[in-house]
Amino acid sequence: MIIEGNTKISNLVTITVDNEQHAVPEGITVIQGMWHLGRSMLHGVGCLGGACGACAILTRRPGQPQPKTALACQTMVSEGLDIAFLSTDVSVKARALLPNETPSRDTLFQYYPETRRCVACGACSTACPQGIDVMAAVRETMMGELPAVAERFESCVMCGLCAAVCESKVRPHRVGLYARRLHGAFYPKAPTQLLNRIDEISAGRYQAEWDSALQMTGNG
Amino acid sequence: MSELEASKKRVNDSRAGRKGQDMPGLAPDVKEALVHRYHPDYKNEAYATIRVGPNKGERTVHEVVRLLEGISPFADESVSLKPTHEVDVLIVGGGGAGATAALTAKAAGVNVLMTTKLRLGDSNTVMAEGGMQVAVAPEDSPVRHFVDSLKGGQMANDRPLLKTLVEEGPSIAKWLIEIGVLFDREEDGNLSLRGGGGSSMPRLLRCKDYTGLELMRVLKDCVLNEEVNVLEFSPVLELLTDGQGTCTGAILKNLDTNQLIIVKAKTVILATGGIGRLHIQGFPTSNHYGATGDALSMSYRAGAVLTLQDTFQYHPTGSVFPEAMAGLLVTEAIRSAGAHLLNVNGERFVYELETRDAVASAVIRECLEGRGIETPSGRKGVWLDMPLVDLINGEGTLKNRFPNMVRQFSRYDIDIEKEPVLIYPTLHYQNGGVKIDVDGESTLKNLFVAGEASGGIHGRNRLMGNSLLDIIVYGKRAGEAASRRSSDIEAGALTLDHLSKFQAEQKSAGVVSKTVSPMLFPDYVNKN
Repeated sequence: MIIEGNTKISNLVTITVDNEQHAVPEGITVIQGMWHLGRSMLHGVGCLGGACGACAILTRRPGQPQPKTALACQTMVSEGLDIAFLSTDVSVKARALLPNETPSRDTLFQYYPETRRCVACGACSTACPQGIDVMAAVRETMMGELPAVAERFESCVMCGLCAAVCESKVRPHRVGLYARRLHGAFYPKAPTQLLNRIDEISAGRYQAEWDSALQMTGNG
Repeated sequence: MSELEASKKRVNDSRAGRKGQDMPGLAPDVKEALVHRYHPDYKNEAYATIRVGPNKGERTVHEVVRLLEGISPFADESVSLKPTHEVDVLIVGGGGAGATAALTAKAAGVNVLMTTKLRLGDSNTVMAEGGMQVAVAPEDSPVRHFVDSLKGGQMANDRPLLKTLVEEGPSIAKWLIEIGVLFDREEDGNLSLRGGGGSSMPRLLRCKDYTGLELMRVLKDCVLNEEVNVLEFSPVLELLTDGQGTCTGAILKNLDTNQLIIVKAKTVILATGGIGRLHIQGFPTSNHYGATGDALSMSYRAGAVLTLQDTFQYHPTGSVFPEAMAGLLVTEAIRSAGAHLLNVNGERFVYELETRDAVASAVIRECLEGRGIETPSGRKGVWLDMPLVDLINGEGTLKNRFPNMVRQFSRYDIDIEKEPVLIYPTLHYQNGGVKIDVDGESTLKNLFVAGEASGGIHGRNRLMGNSLLDIIVYGKRAGEAASRRSSDIEAGALTLDHLSKFQAEQKSAGVVSKTVSPMLFPDYVNKN
């Protein structure tokens, strides 16, 4: 095995991929297991650090009645693990631009009207590999609580699993990102220090300091 | 009790006593000696002399020399150069620098094509945890940011590049806020600032420990909203030139269909990122799957000069246990918040907020001299004591400020609020790269390079938080300059003449290579 130059990997475990059983070394991730089996995984691999959402999978452990969603780069292989790879996010993104005026929940509904159809089944929250309470965020969207929605989606990796499992065709991750952008762009309080610094720089406030610093540090 | 467990117990037991303990910083000469003795950049046997091309006679690590001296995928193949696309600006790379360049060029009204090896957004940007340095605090200044970065870079930074970086920081931060990046804020609305290693002032803007993810989500959303033409799973395999030292386009390959795509472009911007997946000197890496230094070999044989191509950043705190997490980063911000580094005896051995080159060197020293801890799979590491962060700043600090770290380790049943973790330096960043001017243009005319693929800004050691700033500042500058240029010129002829020239040079230097570059992906897939 050619995984990052290492090491003393020993025992094998049996995993099931697409209904076929394979033996792979224990202690490695599902992605590394796929490489071990000779699969390149081009469309199912990205950052390898749990941040990009490219490697969504369904897994089921022995004795578990229902499969669970997960990220393949963040899941270790284990005896009897049953794995199915999911295609990457196919939900449609609305061309949701930032508005000129302070946003409200109607700003979101304009682009993602189906959000109102949420029946609060909770499937999205169960599906989220980041542990976001997605359904709570969708309910907050309906109440127009954009800052709360924004905060909930802070760790969202845009894998799209929440949209994939939604019976009502809601696209929670896309709503969440738009809510975050709206909240960021229309933040209720100005970053005064930053704006002052920009004014100082354009007014040439640092010229003397630059002259002496550049003289002292030379031209390397 | 195993040695590992016994050592961990020493760390847990000594924690309360270490709270508030002073650790002096290193004197400049001591730091220099430490780095020269233990930093991988100074390991002679890891280096070789480059025998051909613009940097002939200079040196870099074997892994990079092999790529620079490598052969083109089109070395022995005749290929039709009839263009399938004709554009003003071709942007290569779908990370933060590429996306920013694309948005800028699109806004300038020129015809833009963006292409990326994996998906739009798959990059190191998305994994950046620590933050973005901008001199915002009233008692801070861009000059101070400049001096800190210069000291951190061992004084090897390109002065005009660095000056531009720090001066444009504040307006770049404003632009990011305007497009909806949600940085952490204080009660009064000001940007919340934190400290980083080697910085004399708290200067890091961030979004908890998800700063890069936040930037990339927003930038990608903008690129899609602006309807930039993007080709995914289509890396560049070779640049095209007019044979007279001007870049005129590129050959791409659609990885799903294996078809070649010939792009005639008035200007090309390479934003293909770094080199972590080369596993230089056998190090694990914090980088994403596609970080294979593609810009280096392609621009090099087309005639672009490299700078500081011999220096790499080994981030001091890469995870080493469990094995599945090997190489993954533990953000430096954890040390800014007070986490200690401890050896097998439970002793601190370096001031944790020295620059990355010094801290990494100290960790390597401990492990080489028998004061490291061995993991079950045979890696060596030292302890990073994170529960101390909660002890210092109050319970819940790790959960609130570092939710990503807490979650990542919890996936492997490690509770960083209760126990220390094992770390060792991980290959993180190429400090140098393709030499550029303040407009991001390389020495090959009409070839621009932005972000980690370029070199000079960070000297021989980048400070935490300067990379997220670099990609946006120089992504924007390259996007602007390339757009301006493409409005002034006609497209040039498409040739591979630079390859025959390079091959002739290889032949006369006696260089026989079996390495095809660019590498595109690491060789992890079992072929048996």
